[in-house]
Amino acid sequence: MPEATIEANRPGTTLLRAPTWNGAVTHLHITARAFLPMRPQESVELVAGRGIMGDRYMIGVEQGYYSEKPEEGRQVTLFESEVLEAISRDYKVEFLPEEHRRNITTRGVPLNWLVGRRFRIGPCLVEATRLSVPCRHIEQILDKQVFDAMVHRSGLNCRILVGGTVRVGDEIRPE
Amino acid sequence: MPQHITLVVRRAIPDGPGTRRLVLQDPDGWPLPRWKPGAHLDIHVPGIGHRAYSMCGDTARADTWEIAVKRETTSRGGSAWVHDVLNEGDVVAASMPRCTFPIADGAARHVMVAGGIGVTPFLAMAHEFERRRAEWALHVLSRGEPPCATALAGCAQTGRIRVYDTTKMARPSWDALLDGGPAPGLHSYCCGPQAMLDGFEEATGNWPAGTTSIEHFVPPTLPAAEGAKAYTLCRSTTRGEMEVEPGGSMLAALWELGAKVDASCEGGICGACEVRWLEGEPIHRDRVLTPERRRTHLLACVAQCSSERLVVET
Repeated sequence: MPEATIEANRPGTTLLRAPTWNGAVTHLHITARAFLPMRPQESVELVAGRGIMGDRYMIGVEQGYYSEKPEEGRQVTLFESEVLEAISRDYKVEFLPEEHRRNITTRGVPLNWLVGRRFRIGPCLVEATRLSVPCRHIEQILDKQVFDAMVHRSGLNCRILVGGTVRVGDEIRPE
Repeated sequence: MPQHITLVVRRAIPDGPGTRRLVLQDPDGWPLPRWKPGAHLDIHVPGIGHRAYSMCGDTARADTWEIAVKRETTSRGGSAWVHDVLNEGDVVAASMPRCTFPIADGAARHVMVAGGIGVTPFLAMAHEFERRRAEWALHVLSRGEPPCATALAGCAQTGRIRVYDTTKMARPSWDALLDGGPAPGLHSYCCGPQAMLDGFEEATGNWPAGTTSIEHFVPPTLPAAEGAKAYTLCRSTTRGEMEVEPGGSMLAALWELGAKVDASCEGGICGACEVRWLEGEPIHRDRVLTPERRRTHLLACVAQCSSERLVVET
C-alpha cells in the first residue's frame, strides 16, 4: 500500500503527495463476438478512439453483448489479477484471466482509483471513463456463480488516447 | 444487439429418414461457448420465433456444434424451415446452450432409452461417457432406419448401442430396456414421444427419487397452480409494476413492462425464460429447475405467485 495513503489515514495529517503505483500487464484477451470464449493474446493493437483490433467492442464493427448501447469509453477494459485471486480465495470459485471478459488483466494497478485519470499501458495512453459493472450474463456464459463476488471490483473501462501495441509484461504507470 | 450467437451452417447432412444434421460453427472459426451433454439450443427461425433442438455433437469439439432435426408432419414451422429453407453457408442466430437434461454425475451406470429423434441428446452423452470410461448403454427404438444413423454408426465400436426397428421386431419390454433396475448406482434416461415418456414414467415409478431423467419434446400438461392469486409483478431494475391475474402469464407481463426475457417452449421445459426472483412467493410449475435453483430463480412462462407482490431481477 502506498505510504501516502497511510499518512492520510492518520487523524490530523495531510496528504502531502499523490499516491504512487506501478503495475504490469499479466494477460491479454479479445473475442470476436458476444458469448464467444475470450482468446489469449501475446500482444494486442490498441487503436486510438476506437478499440482493440479484433475485439467485439471495436467502434465501427461492434459485435458485443452491449453493442446496442454504444459507449465511447469502452474501447479497452481492464481487470485486476488480485481480484481474481481474492474471488477464488473467498468464494471458493476458480476464476481465471480468460473468464472475467475484460481485455487486459493487470497486477499492481489500483483500478478503482483511476476513474477520470490518464495512465500508460506500454506505449499507449488511456483515460479511465468509469468502473465496469458486472452482469449476470457472465454467469450464463461461465456456468459459475461469480456475479455477487464481482460487485464493486469488476474492472475499469477506458478510452484510448494514444494507440499502439500492448504486450504481456508491459508496464502500466500513471501519466 | 447481438445477444445471440452467430453461427454459420458448415454442413447440412441427411442422416436417416427425414432427418437433417446441421454442423454449426462461428463464421470465422472461433471457439464456441462450452456446453454440457444433454444441452439444447434455441435456433431463431425467421418469422416464427425460437425453436429448441438437442445438441448431438461432441462437447470436446470446441469450434463445432451439431443439431439434428427431423421433419415433423405437424411442424409448427421450425423443422420445415430447417429442411426446406436452410442451406450450407447460411447464417443463423442461436441462444446459449442450456442443459436441462444433465448426466447424473453420481451414478455408476447409465441406461438411456431413445424414441426416434429423441436419440440426439444421447449422442452427446455417449461421447462423454466414453471419455469417462463409464458403464453405459443406449437403446434406440425407431420405426425403420433410426434418425442419425451415421452418427450412431460412429459410436458403434463401443458395442453399447442397440437399435430396435419396431416394424420388424417386437418392442422390447421396459424391464429388459432398463436392465432390470432399479439397482444401486443405476440411472436411467428417456427422450422420445410422449407415449414413450409415459411408459418410462410408469415403468420407473418405483425407482428411488433422482435416479431417472426425462427430456420432453413438447411441454407436458401444466400442474395446477394451487394457491395462485392476483399479484403485483415488479421489475427490480426499473421499478416498473403490473398487476397479474391468477393464471396470467408472468412472461407476457414482463414483456409488457419492457423486460428483455428470452422465451422458447413457453411450457416450462426449456429454461429460456429463467429469471432471478428477489421477493415474494412464486409457484413453480416448470420441469427443469432443481429445488435449490428454485430458491433463487423461476421460469416466467409457467410460474404463478401466491403472495401479493413478486419482485424479479430484470
